Amino acid sequence: MSSLEADVLVIGGGSTGVGVARDAALRGFSTILVERRDLADGTTGRFHGLLHSGGRYAVKDPSAARECIVENRILRLTAADCVEDTGGLFVSTPWDDPEYGDLFLDGCRATGVPAEEIPVAEALRREPRVNPDIRRAFLVPDAALDPWKLVWGCARSAEEHGARILPYHKVLDLEVDGDRVVGAHVRSERSGEDVAIRATVVINAAGAWAGQIAKFAHCTVNVRAGMGLMIAMNHRLVHMCVNRCKRPADGDILLPLRTACVIGTTDVFVPDPDKTEIRQEDIDLLLDEGDKLVPGFRQARALHAWAGVRPLFEDTAVVAETRDVTRSHALLDHSTREGVAGFVTITGGKTTTFRLMAEAAVDAACEQLGGPRPCSTAEVPLAGSERHTLYQIGHRLAAREPVPQSEEIICECELITRARLEDTIKQRDTTSLDDIRRLLRLAMGPCQGGFCIYRATGILHQDGNVDREGANRTLLDFLEERWKGVHPILHGDQLRQARLDDWIFQGILDVEHLPV
Amino acid sequence: MSYDTVVIGAGLAGLTAALRLTEQGQRVLVVARGVGATHLAPATVDVLGYLGENRIEDPASSVATLVASSGDHPYAHIAADQLATALNWFSARAGALGYVGGLERNLLLPTALGVPKPSALAPRTMSGGDLTAGGRFVFVGLKGFKDFHPTLIADNLAGARLPAPVAARALELELPPGRRVDMSGRVIAGQFDNERLSEWLIAALKDRVEPDERIGVPAVLGLRRADDTWRELETRLERTVFEVSTLPPSIPGIRLFDALASALRAGGTRMVLGVRAVGARTSDARIEAVDVANATGTVSHATDAVVLASGGFASGGLELDSFGATHETVFDLPLIGVPDTGRVRFAPAYFDAQPLSAAGVGIDDLLRPVDAKGHPVYANLHAAGAILGGAVPWKEKSGTGISVATGYAAAGAILAPATRAISEAMR
Repeated sequence: MSSLEADVLVIGGGSTGVGVARDAALRGFSTILVERRDLADGTTGRFHGLLHSGGRYAVKDPSAARECIVENRILRLTAADCVEDTGGLFVSTPWDDPEYGDLFLDGCRATGVPAEEIPVAEALRREPRVNPDIRRAFLVPDAALDPWKLVWGCARSAEEHGARILPYHKVLDLEVDGDRVVGAHVRSERSGEDVAIRATVVINAAGAWAGQIAKFAHCTVNVRAGMGLMIAMNHRLVHMCVNRCKRPADGDILLPLRTACVIGTTDVFVPDPDKTEIRQEDIDLLLDEGDKLVPGFRQARALHAWAGVRPLFEDTAVVAETRDVTRSHALLDHSTREGVAGFVTITGGKTTTFRLMAEAAVDAACEQLGGPRPCSTAEVPLAGSERHTLYQIGHRLAAREPVPQSEEIICECELITRARLEDTIKQRDTTSLDDIRRLLRLAMGPCQGGFCIYRATGILHQDGNVDREGANRTLLDFLEERWKGVHPILHGDQLRQARLDDWIFQGILDVEHLPV
Repeated sequence: MSYDTVVIGAGLAGLTAALRLTEQGQRVLVVARGVGATHLAPATVDVLGYLGENRIEDPASSVATLVASSGDHPYAHIAADQLATALNWFSARAGALGYVGGLERNLLLPTALGVPKPSALAPRTMSGGDLTAGGRFVFVGLKGFKDFHPTLIADNLAGARLPAPVAARALELELPPGRRVDMSGRVIAGQFDNERLSEWLIAALKDRVEPDERIGVPAVLGLRRADDTWRELETRLERTVFEVSTLPPSIPGIRLFDALASALRAGGTRMVLGVRAVGARTSDARIEAVDVANATGTVSHATDAVVLASGGFASGGLELDSFGATHETVFDLPLIGVPDTGRVRFAPAYFDAQPLSAAGVGIDDLLRPVDAKGHPVYANLHAAGAILGGAVPWKEKSGTGISVATGYAAAGAILAPATRAISEAMR
């Protein structure tokens, strides 16, 4: 067993965890982050991708709304490269009470969320596919956020400031010495090696899994997992984040994300955050709600469905409806709560406010690390965002266009070049196509890997990163993993695509009879 | 203007049926939404490669086994001698590709992943890759062509289950300077046709190949002159040279399409792509005319018979809507292989048996789509190819075999006087 030491040990590699690691590293603390799987593999990589303006919470959760608009403005500067400034549109469809619009405007005014009512004709001019029978429309500064870019940007920044980021390291136990948490035992899921990490403060940023971590220190954190379903559609059916103007409910957000768009979401309590099931009735609900926002939605091409789990913190009483749990975060200093020193939990909240959550957690840790140090994450931009240039759809195309055919394009859907793929394989030191997918969006376009996965496997193998068994294994694993998100929504033109992919992988390449 | 037969679909099944009918002097119209799966699949004729987990060595007797256990399989409606006749007929018609092989023994051709795949027939540009006798192979990749990875092929062949020992290695060649970096199979094929890329390839390989090695190259040796190019490579390198199928588009598949389409045109048959058959005018359980939608409207083509070869889900012949209902898209024919209760749910593991994988139209022995009681829906409608239910062609490795056999048989059912008599009687 090897051992490591740090001022701060962060558990959890979602947006909150990497935010905490970056914040702590920027403040000069030696920092280690452990994540049981890949970064952003939990909730962050499975959310809809909405950088909230706060409009969604303006009526029923004003404090969440206030936080959102502040963080929205900060991220547009510090994480500009991860944000597409789509703008947001709240619309009253024939199924929504138009008077809710007044409550909405009042709520936005009270919480500082800029909102402006525009004529329906103007809204339809901007979003021609939106239901022409909408009765009211409001503009807010919603935006689209790329969660993987954000998480990896924070992780790289943390590393530049001396932090160690250890994905695929699972916490087996916390080390408790008397009334103090002094570290954790972790195991590398890749090498099988056990590592003892000693830290002055352990920050539990495990989100929906925070309760499981807290138990190791005999502390109680009541986090419920609220499962939300999302479906990615093949085109940008809308160019703004379109919300229903009503009390937040299921299937009322449709937002553009790169070349696709995503409809979300549902909210179902699940006892175990690792056990999510995509139910047909939830798929139908999202498709039906999508049809209300964009008529013909059901005939559009659905690419992929996935479920994420929100960490919903509740301190005492049982709440029946998960939507009624506040979306504000919870900071739990276990020294004041349970008399366990050196242990802080940060949970609840949402990706939009991850930076604020990280700041609060590190502030709390500072008290146990010799006094306050100023937080700088609201000012220091991530790499790639120094000039505050917001991401624009077409960046990759613009980079390729002046020099066509100058490089091999491995994934035509997402315009990923061979050089970029090879760099990423090297940088990530990974042999998993699924890890590469999360970094590059490889295989996330309309063909869902039909063409690029053979190529990527060949390159991975040819460059000596994996032997034959490794190459075949990661190819087959990828096909299984991809199918999980494909099979629940398979119909129409996407079934045609899936059948073509069956022909490619089984009919032409015969992957079923690979030697493994 | 009226036709003897309207063929819907321009894939292998549709082209086969249309060509046989054309040869017999029929006035034939082919309508299709676009080119078919010829452009995707290798041009091999795969009759039957797997029965469950068992790799098939002799397709003729294994088809009999398959048919005995699965009465819904398309082959169950094809007489054994008809299958052989169909393949012979096909080989002769696609003479330009020089098909090699037969029903007695499958060839084992390496895929672009280095998996030995059984095929009954293969064009002569590909058949040299047959692994059954073992031997030494070198697989040659072209830098800048991303759809072919020789190292992975060679490594996987080393671990493959084969009847005789195979030694394989990989060679990666830099293309001559000044070429585009990112080249598709079609672009390279064009360079073989027009720019004498074979001169370069011969020079590049001359001293790098052992005397007893067979040379595998990606299937991009050209469209118009592929056969000449292949012969030239074999002659001048004094080795067996063979093409290995790659990701779509399939260059050998396009050659096959071109060969069949030009034979059709030479026979005077009209082929209209980019249109969609949308329904029919019927009377007394017969189709009298097929309605075809083009860019400006719908045209009704009167016809004596119809071959429906519009393909499966991949080609749009079948469709699953978002409510879970399955449809045949031209005539709304009854289907077999569709779960009868509730909506379609796919199995959560990719390689598990999937619902709908054997969905399609059920047919009688004259290849006419039938209803639940087994009665033909229309007396003069015949179906062929991937639209037929009862098979999982990408798992069985039977897709092109089914298309050739049923395309041929559908034409036969239209031509046979017995069929005619029955149709007339029903009229």
